[in-house]
Amino acid sequence: MTNSIDEIRDADLLFVTGSNTTEAHPIIAMEMKRAIQRGAKLIVSDPRKIWMADIADIFLQIRPGTDVWLLNAMANVIISEGLTDDEFIARSTVDFDKVKETVAKYTPEEAEKVTGAPAELIREAARLYATTKKAGIYYTLGITEHTHGTDNVYCLANLVLMTGHLGKRSAGMNPLRGQNNVQGANDAGASPVFYPGYQRVTDAEAQKKFEEAWGVKLSPNEGQNLNVMMKSVIKGTVRGLYVMGEDIVISEPNASKLEVGLNENCEFLVCQEIFHNVTTQFADVILPGACFAEKDGVFTNSDRRVQRVRKAVDPPGNAREDWKILIDFAKASGYPMPDYSSPAEIYDEMASLTPKVAGISHRRLEENVMGLQWPCPEPDHPGTPTLHVDGPLKGKADFQAVEYRPSAELPDDEYPLVLSTGRVLYHYNAATQTRREAGSVAKVGRNFIEMNRKDAKRLGFENGEMVDVVSRRGRVDAEVMISPRMRVGCVWMPMHFAESRANLITNDAGDPVTQTGEYKVCAVRIESRNGNGNRNPERQRRA
Amino acid sequence: MSSNRFDIEINGKACSAEKGETVFEVAAREGINIPTLCHDTRLEPAGACRVCLVEVEGQRRLEPGCAWKVSEGMKITTESERIERHRKVLYGLYLADHELDGEGLPVETGNGNQLRELAMKTEPLALNPVEAPRAGRPSDENPYIRFEPELCILCARCTRYCDEVEAVNAITLANRGSHTTIATAGMRGLLDTTCELCGGCIDTCPTGALVEKKSPDPLPADARKVRTTCNFCGVGCQLDLHVVGTNGTSRVAKVTSPPPGETVNDGNLCIKGRFAYDFIHHEDRITEPLIRGEDGELHPATWDEAIAAAAEGLGKVKEKYGADALGFVSSSRCTGEENYLMQKISRAVYGTNNIHQCSAT
Repeated sequence: MTNSIDEIRDADLLFVTGSNTTEAHPIIAMEMKRAIQRGAKLIVSDPRKIWMADIADIFLQIRPGTDVWLLNAMANVIISEGLTDDEFIARSTVDFDKVKETVAKYTPEEAEKVTGAPAELIREAARLYATTKKAGIYYTLGITEHTHGTDNVYCLANLVLMTGHLGKRSAGMNPLRGQNNVQGANDAGASPVFYPGYQRVTDAEAQKKFEEAWGVKLSPNEGQNLNVMMKSVIKGTVRGLYVMGEDIVISEPNASKLEVGLNENCEFLVCQEIFHNVTTQFADVILPGACFAEKDGVFTNSDRRVQRVRKAVDPPGNAREDWKILIDFAKASGYPMPDYSSPAEIYDEMASLTPKVAGISHRRLEENVMGLQWPCPEPDHPGTPTLHVDGPLKGKADFQAVEYRPSAELPDDEYPLVLSTGRVLYHYNAATQTRREAGSVAKVGRNFIEMNRKDAKRLGFENGEMVDVVSRRGRVDAEVMISPRMRVGCVWMPMHFAESRANLITNDAGDPVTQTGEYKVCAVRIESRNGNGNRNPERQRRA
Repeated sequence: MSSNRFDIEINGKACSAEKGETVFEVAAREGINIPTLCHDTRLEPAGACRVCLVEVEGQRRLEPGCAWKVSEGMKITTESERIERHRKVLYGLYLADHELDGEGLPVETGNGNQLRELAMKTEPLALNPVEAPRAGRPSDENPYIRFEPELCILCARCTRYCDEVEAVNAITLANRGSHTTIATAGMRGLLDTTCELCGGCIDTCPTGALVEKKSPDPLPADARKVRTTCNFCGVGCQLDLHVVGTNGTSRVAKVTSPPPGETVNDGNLCIKGRFAYDFIHHEDRITEPLIRGEDGELHPATWDEAIAAAAEGLGKVKEKYGADALGFVSSSRCTGEENYLMQKISRAVYGTNNIHQCSAT
């Protein structure tokens, strides 16, 4: 996030797109509700009529995967109606002309045909966004989990840059991070292209610095990101895995191919886990780790805030803190890993090599109850709540002209419905934790497929009926949930349930830059399990 | 034109104030404590409990400090014989239909009882108990939240929180007069309402009338609090884990938020942060290192054996196919320090940049 979470309450406009905030980030949603109660305007674009859509001033219920059309059309309106911040564009950006040229053909009327959102509403949304000073964009996986996810992000960044909504309190570009420490994991260098603090592995200077610090020669080649790595397991070019705290099989798209890869190609799999999950079934060695309440360290949240994690109880049985396991594993592998006495010492080593967090230490975090937000380069630096205050950090920000590309798999006669997958409030990702919690299970106990009443009626399905959802890659069972939130022709399923895994049917076609799978769009048909429903795919096509 | 900043006087002390502020806000900044039951900084002032009444020079009646807006030169008195008299009567009225302990004080609860604290400071007027036929929801089967009508003072913090902060309006004030209670639509159980089980109503209740069902009530006296960061989504809510028991057998028995205004979550939590902690001590936790044997089954092993097997197994793959045939999947659920170690292992120990976590999925 370029802004901080507490800036949301002071915003005058929230543009929430591809984020079901009340379910995936409920406490951030509370800040949004507070802003709206104060009088802030709300624009929501989403294929589903989510909770936030009910209280939105403008709701754009677009067809899944048509974001580029919507966002380019908004840019078109902002430019053609002269609502750009020309001074900001001249001072802080390059390549605006390319975007101007590209979006010229993305008129609201044409966008209406593709997205399904009315042209007039697109115009209103563009005007409202461009003319409100404290305007923030908030997005999550609804934007990124597409084969054009990077393009979607570029389009949003174009809107931010052409209106100058950057580097100000409550105005900026805010991806809401999904996991407690996904920001911190990247910051710490758990990345195939970056050492800690986003120093490139291909940068010879950085390589030299880390070689000196760690006393070994390092590879100058970029590694594989998780999506590529999993495809390498399927192909047999990656043959050994060490997986810590991640259920790769339930989380990756088109999971059955990965299962075959793990069975046939992966010669050695180490899992470090707190619960058995789908992935540990393939493990050669399982190392029992500790959960967050059983160890010390830091998590970095969505607004770059480094905060303490403190040990409250001991790990169960012979389970151990993960940092201790890793030290022993490194030593057993023949590397002289230092005998760090505590995570504070490990953090100090990282901070000494990482300018962005060089001013942060466990000692400072004890004194700063609110945590410290990076960049925080010096021990007396107060941290950085809002990014890009003095202009873009990189000097000049690049506009990126983006053309619409359809999603990789569109509905056809055989698979006539569009499936998106996602998360519900009551469960967390692979749900090994929340499915052991009575209230979460009482609220949502099993897999479901959400669909519009018209589709259910046309297909002959009743609310609560068990069905099979079938794609080219597999089938999973689910309970029909008839819901006014869905567009006709679109269905939605959560990804939490190990016995009915949405990712057996999702599409692993990847974004060309990130290789992120297309979890938000794939083609499916729905089959009855009890013989009552209509098995004929012909009938499932949109009337 | 009058300025937006001006001075007011509280208890004879000059205090700087800003237009639009309440007596409460200025007093809090100046370190002057005005008691209240119905006020929560996250909510619009309701002026409902009448505990915070203060004297405002020029006003005939006492006025509620939580809602009264300051103006230039205003003179406020927060402690006086008149206010004390008012409190005695007010507390007496509250006690008349409140559950009392053997000493005639409002009962202590697992979530505290601010009415008890007030009554201990100012002796309430003794009044005959009255019967308040306030309905509860004894058959509500939700696993987390219980309503104790005998402890409710109808300050409506819970219903206002549910409306103004969580915005789901699952609970509401219903009925009239002495029958007034905290209700759901049709007195249904919370699982059958719009309630999202965030538990904010428990947190904001000043008298413990909303009880967390799954934790001991009250917690043992030796329970300790450990401040930490939630392990679910990326908001970074701060939690206080309440730990009972001693080393080896200690357990997390309750989770609360730090008070509003102190941390990023401003006193708020969701169902996962507040209630989904059973997994910590669940019997399904893996408690022994395991190695897959020749028979294809997993067998318990010592740490030395398991670590050696892991290092040997991955070492062999590297020997046979090269370092880039290895992949290290780190975890966005683990700490920053553990992620640092994992990438160091991938790069410095095994010589590959094939290190990532779930951030691109």
